[in-house]
Amino acid sequence: MTFWREAGLNYVRYSQICAKIVRQCLKADLREAAAKRNESTVKAVMWKDGKPVPAAK
Amino acid sequence: MHCGIVLPRLDEEVAMSILRSATKLHASVRQCARLVTAAQQQRRGYADMAFTFASPVTVHYEAAKVKQIDVPSFSGSFGILPDHVPLLAVLKPGVITVHEDDATSKRFFVSSGSVTVNDDSSVQILAEEAIAMENIDAQAVREGLNKATAEVNAASNDQAKAEALIGLECYEALQKAIEG
Repeated sequence: MTFWREAGLNYVRYSQICAKIVRQCLKADLREAAAKRNESTVKAVMWKDGKPVPAAK
Repeated sequence: MHCGIVLPRLDEEVAMSILRSATKLHASVRQCARLVTAAQQQRRGYADMAFTFASPVTVHYEAAKVKQIDVPSFSGSFGILPDHVPLLAVLKPGVITVHEDDATSKRFFVSSGSVTVNDDSSVQILAEEAIAMENIDAQAVREGLNKATAEVNAASNDQAKAEALIGLECYEALQKAIEG
């Protein structure tokens, strides 16, 4: 078992860390556009009885 | 609870006829299996590698015909030639070398992802980040390597330490890629 698995991390986290580092090591002109890929957003909407339920404020 | 199905009694002749057709069916299934195997062997003999290599933002190759691919994975670094045994592996940070033909080869740095080799000799590499070697900034790698070493020493708990070590490993792979 790898050291990071023993510490409770999984491959998805491993992949995320490595991908971020590779983006940081791009040449300056490409780095800025690549840095935007570090973050991703997910919008989740719950549905009930065939209608979307507005998120609790 | 017992649940049974009542079957009409078969006389001996009907039973024999069913048995005969079952035997025939078995023989034709075997014949089919032989034909499929023969077709596979023939196809494998002339196989090309349909190579697909992509990251979420770029497609580097799409079903392209290539000679050989060298891949860094957790089960070691290995080369893939046509007719490679089917395989699944996870990538680790390192250089993928694509030998397009005898004269030209291209090098990419991948962060992580998966590699699939299928029975029909097609190969898929899906990487979270895959960049051409010439786009790596050597200065950024050197600085990052120093920073990562400091982070390993500064880590306060097991998880932070593991994350810092992953980072260090990745920078070391980048450094090695630039030198090599």
